[in-house]
Amino acid sequence: MPTMEKIKLCCAKCGFVIEEYTAEELAAVPRKAKRYQYLKNKSSICPSCLASGRLSDIRVNEESGPVGAPRVAAPASSTAAPVGHEEHAVSPTPMMDAMSQGRFPSHAAELKKTKYPVQMYEQALQKRRTQWGYGGYVSLPGVASGVLVRSSARPEITKGSNFVRIMDPCGNFFSTASMRGLCDIADKYAYGLLHLLSTGGDLELLGIPTENLKPAVEEITNLGFDIGSTGDDYRTSEECIGPAKCDLTLYDTLGLRAAWYKRFLDDVQYPRFPHKIKCKFAGCPNDCVRGCQKADIFLCGVYRDAPQVDQQKVAKWVEAGGDITTVCSRCPGQAMQWESGKGLRIDEDSCMHCMYCSNKVPGVRPGGDRGVAVLVGGKLRGKFGPMLSRVLVPFIKAEGPDYKEVFDCIEKFTEVYDANARKKERVGDFILRIGIDEFYKLSGVEPAPQLLAQPRTNFFCHWEVEEVMDERKR
Amino acid sequence: MPGIGIPSLEASLPPIVKRNYGKWTSHDHIRPGVIKHDAESGEACYTVRAAMPPNARVSTPTMRMLCGLADEFSEGFFRVTQRNSIEFVGVPVGRIEELIARLAGHGFPVGGTNRSLHNMTCCTGYMHCHLAATDPAAIVKAISEMLIKEYETDCLPAGLKISGSGCINNCGEGSCADIGIVGVHRDLPPINAEKLKGCELPLVISVCPVGAIKPKGPGMVEIDPKKCIHCPACSVACAAFAPIGSANGDGVAIVVGGKSSNTGDGPALAKMVIPYLPNNPPHWPEVTEVVRKIVDTWVANAHRDERVGEWINRIGWEKFYQRTGLKMSFKVVDGYDQRSLEYVRSNVRFRW
Ligand code: HEM
Ligand code: SF4
Ligand code: SF4
Ligand code: SF4
Ligand code: SF4
Repeated sequence: MPTMEKIKLCCAKCGFVIEEYTAEELAAVPRKAKRYQYLKNKSSICPSCLASGRLSDIRVNEESGPVGAPRVAAPASSTAAPVGHEEHAVSPTPMMDAMSQGRFPSHAAELKKTKYPVQMYEQALQKRRTQWGYGGYVSLPGVASGVLVRSSARPEITKGSNFVRIMDPCGNFFSTASMRGLCDIADKYAYGLLHLLSTGGDLELLGIPTENLKPAVEEITNLGFDIGSTGDDYRTSEECIGPAKCDLTLYDTLGLRAAWYKRFLDDVQYPRFPHKIKCKFAGCPNDCVRGCQKADIFLCGVYRDAPQVDQQKVAKWVEAGGDITTVCSRCPGQAMQWESGKGLRIDEDSCMHCMYCSNKVPGVRPGGDRGVAVLVGGKLRGKFGPMLSRVLVPFIKAEGPDYKEVFDCIEKFTEVYDANARKKERVGDFILRIGIDEFYKLSGVEPAPQLLAQPRTNFFCHWEVEEVMDERKR
Repeated sequence: MPGIGIPSLEASLPPIVKRNYGKWTSHDHIRPGVIKHDAESGEACYTVRAAMPPNARVSTPTMRMLCGLADEFSEGFFRVTQRNSIEFVGVPVGRIEELIARLAGHGFPVGGTNRSLHNMTCCTGYMHCHLAATDPAAIVKAISEMLIKEYETDCLPAGLKISGSGCINNCGEGSCADIGIVGVHRDLPPINAEKLKGCELPLVISVCPVGAIKPKGPGMVEIDPKKCIHCPACSVACAAFAPIGSANGDGVAIVVGGKSSNTGDGPALAKMVIPYLPNNPPHWPEVTEVVRKIVDTWVANAHRDERVGEWINRIGWEKFYQRTGLKMSFKVVDGYDQRSLEYVRSNVRFRW
């Protein structure tokens, strides 16, 4: 059999193989080369012995043929800390019991019905300090993203816990059949505890012993769910409920998100960007996904014409006691005028398309000239703290089934960020550092007054020499 | 193995949604926790929304019970909302009261729609995170109990969203909400010389937003206590700078006025009004007291459909502090970032 060169990235301490590539692949497939460089340049946590540090790469000549099962070196016994379940003695939990009282559902009561090591939580409350230790994202062969490990500062209670991030289905709808399947997996391999929806938009299963990770992931994917969304990649995208159950939506948020996964799945599952990128899709300016606050790339449904008024429906609502006076007085553009007999008038120049009237008054619906705005740079942390996202493109048509124009735009911004940002710099911090003007230039967007909060009050414009020359020639 | 993507629309959506996909014409709040959507076809869809445990932590027995209810009342489907409520979609109108009673029997109150307290979101905190400076789940539980009337009735000027993050990483979205609870550290991060050997030092030095980490001899660094803002980016980036925190150093900051919708005054991030309150488990009375004051003052003074932030924009910070009786501290304008001048006034249009 012919041999071929394989490059394996392994734990420097125990030799566990985390990813492997053929030399050919690395030369031919840019994203693999990118991923390889990314992994080589960072310190990683070994899923087998939990040591963290740089990976070493080994080059071996192996017989070619189908890539076989990765060889896992036996972890050195002194460093091995497989994460598993321990038997928990029934021990008193006064803090958690106090929290299990009352009329609201209690997380403490839920934890106690599972194999979660309750003393980790109880002791944290008693000592007023978390009892968990450092953690991070781990890669397994074939599973580059979606698995996390958390170590413990109290090894006598638990050694630690692995967990997986499952990307939520469209609109966060679950059939009871699929949810029962997830419950079975949680019972069989994990604590029997669901983190039903993290704020990032994933469903997490906690407490999976290391040796169960592979079979658990296997069963999750057999059930039709996929994992991902850890590390420096596109995180799980989130959409609002949109056409599935909302009368206000301006485009098909669920369809767009499904198409997004078709196009970008690889970028969700192979971390290689400077930092995470969160994409969120809101059907209208009500922004029920909080995209303007949380998303590095935010698509917001918008419309350009005036709200459509069904005068009869509005009159009926007012007759039935609808509070039209409040709505008119709180219209932020002061665009609405109600006169009984004459009906509702909306002044197109004053309307800022905020959705308030449509939210409150049956019969006032968003207009028909619909598309999406693209905003970038929202985040709640990063180097300079919380930032709202900024408008980059005020209007693009969102046309299925492949949403090419919108996704090309997302891809373009991602490329600009990927090529120019520093390691661990969120999109918003990157834009703040290089300046929005530079970012406009790099991403090639067109000027539009919709981008402005307000024009500058000083005169220190930058003119390129060539620009001035061009002007002079005229 | 991974690589299959998310489940298809076809498999995830309940029949009533498939029938009326994209054809909804209006919505109406029937009673707290119940929303009616009308479709072009004339079909009406009733949704019942119930609270979930903080951080959407649900044991499998509880989940199976909820699945049983979904089989019985909503054609074998349910959904989880952005604010971690559970929704039964397409409940027959004649069986709504029965479902509400059954949910109540299992300890799941129904509410959180329209002008009420919406289900509170938070991060995992002490339950599963090493960075936590507080336990937002416990605080959320305590505040939910205190505001259960506000959750179950449409009695507020506008919708009220309260969220909790265990630390300033803000996974629990504290800064997004009308009232946000955000855990804060006040101690210096430790430096573990042993672990520093495996650390990407240049990265850690560069992630520090204030340049407080400085080389000190070969392979060693020190942290300038005059500069450190306890952010703790270094603890996130490297195990050598963890664990940060202590029982009396850690606590909670309160922020107010965040919102994402474009109605009213438009999207805003929440602003800090209290830089520190102590951690006091299991019920965090200092925190619940402040939240109570803010909510009560807002309810008593806000106009209809005026969210917390919009109310403050109208009356000004001086009236906010005066009416709530909270004390202002210079910590809320400190000079960490270049924007600190933005936080202070250039006019004298005072309110007294
Ligand atoms: C369990 C331990 C967790 C740790 C140690 C952790 C760590 C972090 C870190 C380091 C950041 C700040 C990133 C930055 O520099 O901008 C962050 C932000 C965030 N994480 Fe987590 N995270 C955890 C759990 C989660 C979970 C379960 C989710 C949901 C998928 C989540 C969602 C978020 C969100 C929404 C932010 C917010 C802010 C932003 O957009 O900047 N986190 N987390
Ligand atoms: S963002 Fe708009 S379209 Fe989406 S659910 Fe909210 S109100 Fe409906
Ligand atoms: S969309 Fe907003 S600004 Fe326009 S009329 Fe309605 S409430 Fe007024
Ligand atoms: S906000 Fe802080 S405490 Fe909460 S999950 Fe994120 S990193 Fe952990
Ligand atoms: S906690 Fe933040 S400010 Fe302090 S040393 Fe670490 S990175 Fe720097």
